[in-house]
Amino acid sequence: MDLLSIVTPLFLGLIVAGTVIGIVFGAVPGMTATMAVAVCLPLTYSLGLNNGLALLLGLYVGGISGGLVPAILLGIPGTPSSITTCFDGYPMCLKGEGEAALRLGIISSLVGGLISLLVLYLFAPPLANFAIEFSYVEKFLIILFALTVMAALSSDMLIGIFSGFLGILVSLVGTYSVDVGGNGEYRLIPPGMENILDSGFSLLPVLIGLFGLAAILDDAERGIPEGQKASDVKVGKSSAFSFSMFAGQTVNLIRSSLIGTFVGILPGVGGSAASILAYSNAKTFSRHPETFGKGEPAGIIASESGNNGLTGGALVPLLSLGIPGDSTTALLIGAFALQGVQVGPLFIGNNPATWNAMIVAMLIANLVMFAVMYLAIRHVARIVTVPKQILFPIILMMCVVGAYTINYGIMFDVWTLLIFGVFGWLAIKLRLEIAPFVIGFILGPNAEVYFVKSLESFGDLTIFFTKSWIAVVLWVLIIGSVAGSIFLSRRNAAREAAAARQDPTVT
Amino acid sequence: MGDLTHVTVDFSRSHLIFPEVIGSILAVLALAILIRDHRRIAGCGRYWAGILGEMDKMRFLGTLVLTLVYFWAMEPVGYQFPNLGFGFLFCSIPYVFAIGVLYLHHRTARTVLPVAVMALVAPTLTWWLFTDVFLLTLP
Repeated sequence: MDLLSIVTPLFLGLIVAGTVIGIVFGAVPGMTATMAVAVCLPLTYSLGLNNGLALLLGLYVGGISGGLVPAILLGIPGTPSSITTCFDGYPMCLKGEGEAALRLGIISSLVGGLISLLVLYLFAPPLANFAIEFSYVEKFLIILFALTVMAALSSDMLIGIFSGFLGILVSLVGTYSVDVGGNGEYRLIPPGMENILDSGFSLLPVLIGLFGLAAILDDAERGIPEGQKASDVKVGKSSAFSFSMFAGQTVNLIRSSLIGTFVGILPGVGGSAASILAYSNAKTFSRHPETFGKGEPAGIIASESGNNGLTGGALVPLLSLGIPGDSTTALLIGAFALQGVQVGPLFIGNNPATWNAMIVAMLIANLVMFAVMYLAIRHVARIVTVPKQILFPIILMMCVVGAYTINYGIMFDVWTLLIFGVFGWLAIKLRLEIAPFVIGFILGPNAEVYFVKSLESFGDLTIFFTKSWIAVVLWVLIIGSVAGSIFLSRRNAAREAAAARQDPTVT
Repeated sequence: MGDLTHVTVDFSRSHLIFPEVIGSILAVLALAILIRDHRRIAGCGRYWAGILGEMDKMRFLGTLVLTLVYFWAMEPVGYQFPNLGFGFLFCSIPYVFAIGVLYLHHRTARTVLPVAVMALVAPTLTWWLFTDVFLLTLP
C-alpha cells in the first residue's frame, strides 16, 4: 500500500480529532463510543469515505479507551466496556496509585487494540474470500446465526431473541422494494402514512435515536446526576508506576486481548462481555485470585486489553460478511451507506484503498490514543469533570442535524429520531436488548431477500438444511449457541438457588 | 414429507411472506415470555409506579416537551427564511439554552453564563459548518 497517498494531513488530523473527542465521550460517564460515532456521523458527509472513516474509527478507539479514566478515578465506568476496570482500578486509586492504574490501563488498551488490529488484517480478507461463495441460503443462515449468538449472549436469551426479531419486523415497514427483486407493495404501514414510510424508517435516525436521545432521556429521568468537581479527582503519586508492573503479565495481556478480539468477532456482543470474560479468565488463571477486586494490576490489564481487543475484532464480521460486530460498528454501516458503499464479502476486494485506509486509521488511532492519554494523563483525568449541562444540549442538537441531513432534508427523519429515542428509553425500562434489536433492524431487509429468493428459487423449505455442507455447519452452530445458552442459564440459576439455600438472606 | 415442505411463492403476495413469518415467531416468543414471566408481568404496575415515583419529572418531561416544541417549530420558522437554515439556527439557540438551564442543579448567574455562551456559539458554529462549509440543507 502506498502509505503517503493514504496519510494526508487531513486524514491524520481527523484521526487525532476523532480520537480526542472519543476519549472525552468515553471519559464522561453516561456517554459512550457509540454515542460519539452517532453524533459525529453527519460530519462525514463532505469528507469522503476514507477521511470520514478516519474520524469515526478515531472516535471508536478513543471512546472505548476513554472509559478507563472515570472507572479508575471515580469507580464509575465511563462506558459499559470498562466496568471491570473499576474493580481493581478504583481500589488502586484509593491507595494513591491512580496514575499508575491509569498508565497500566492505557498501555493495556494499546496492546489490546494492536493485537486485535493484527487479527483483523490477517483474518478478514480470507473470511471474505470464503464468504463470496455463499448463496442466498447460506447468507440467510449467517444472519440467523448472528441473531442467535447475540441473543444467546444477552442477559436473557428469550428477551434477546425477541428483541432481534422485533428489530427485523420494524425494518420491514415500508415497501418490498423492486430494486431487490420485490413486488413493490406496501406492508406494515399505518393507513395514511404510505408517503412518509414508503422506504421505511431510515437507519441512521433510528440509530441516533436509540444511542443518542435515549441515553440522554435515561440520564434526565435520573435527574442528570451532578458531575464531579476537580477536587474529587485524585490522580495520586506519579512515582507509583513502573513498567515492571507488567512483569509476569505477558500471557494475561495477550490472552485478554485475544478474548476481546474473539468476543468482538461474535456479532452484536458488546465490550462489557469482552472485558468481563477477560477479567474472569485472568482471575481464574491467577496464582493470587484473592487479590482481585482489591487493587490487583492484573485485573486492569485484563479488562482494558480485553475491551480494546474488541475494536479490531468487531470489524472482522462487518468487513467480511456485512454483519456488525457491535453497536458502534453497526453505525459504521451508516457511514458506508452515506457514501454509497455496501459492506459484505466483496468489500475488501472491490475497495482495497478503503480497506488499507481503515487499517492505517486504526493503527494511528491506537497510537494517538496512547500518546494523548499517556503523555497528558493529568489533563485527561480532568475530562470527567466536564459538565453535562454543557455537553448534552449540544449532543441533542447534533442528533437533530444528523437525522435531518441524512437524506438531504427530510423532517420525518427528525421525528424518527424522537420516536426511536423514546422507544430506546422504554426498551431500557422493559429490559429489551437494544443490541440484538439494532442488528435485527440492520440485517432484516437482507434476511428477507435471502429467505424469499431462496424459496422462490428452490420451492422447498428443506433447502435451508440441504443446500451445502456450510448450511449444515451453520445449523450446528445455531443449535449449539442456543443449547449452550440454555445450559449456561440453567447452571447459573442452579448456582443462585444453591447460594440462596446456603444464605437465606440473599434473595 | 415432500408436500409438507414444498412452498410455492405467489409473487403478488411475496411482500407478506417474511413479515408473516417474523410476526408468527414474535407471537410465539411473546407467549413464551408471558408464560415464563407472568408473575413479573402481573406486577408491572408497581414497577412502573416505582419508575414514575423516582423519576425526575421536571428534567425528563421537560426534555421531551422542549424537544417536541423544537422539532415542531423548526420547519415553520425555516419557511420564513427559505434555504438559509435559519429555522435550525433560530430554534437551536433557545433550545440549547433551555435544556442547559433545565439540567443545571444550581441556577445562578455564574452557572447560567457558560450555558448561555454555549447556546450562542454551538448552534451558530454548527449552522455555519453545515451550510457554508459542507453545503448541506438545514431546516
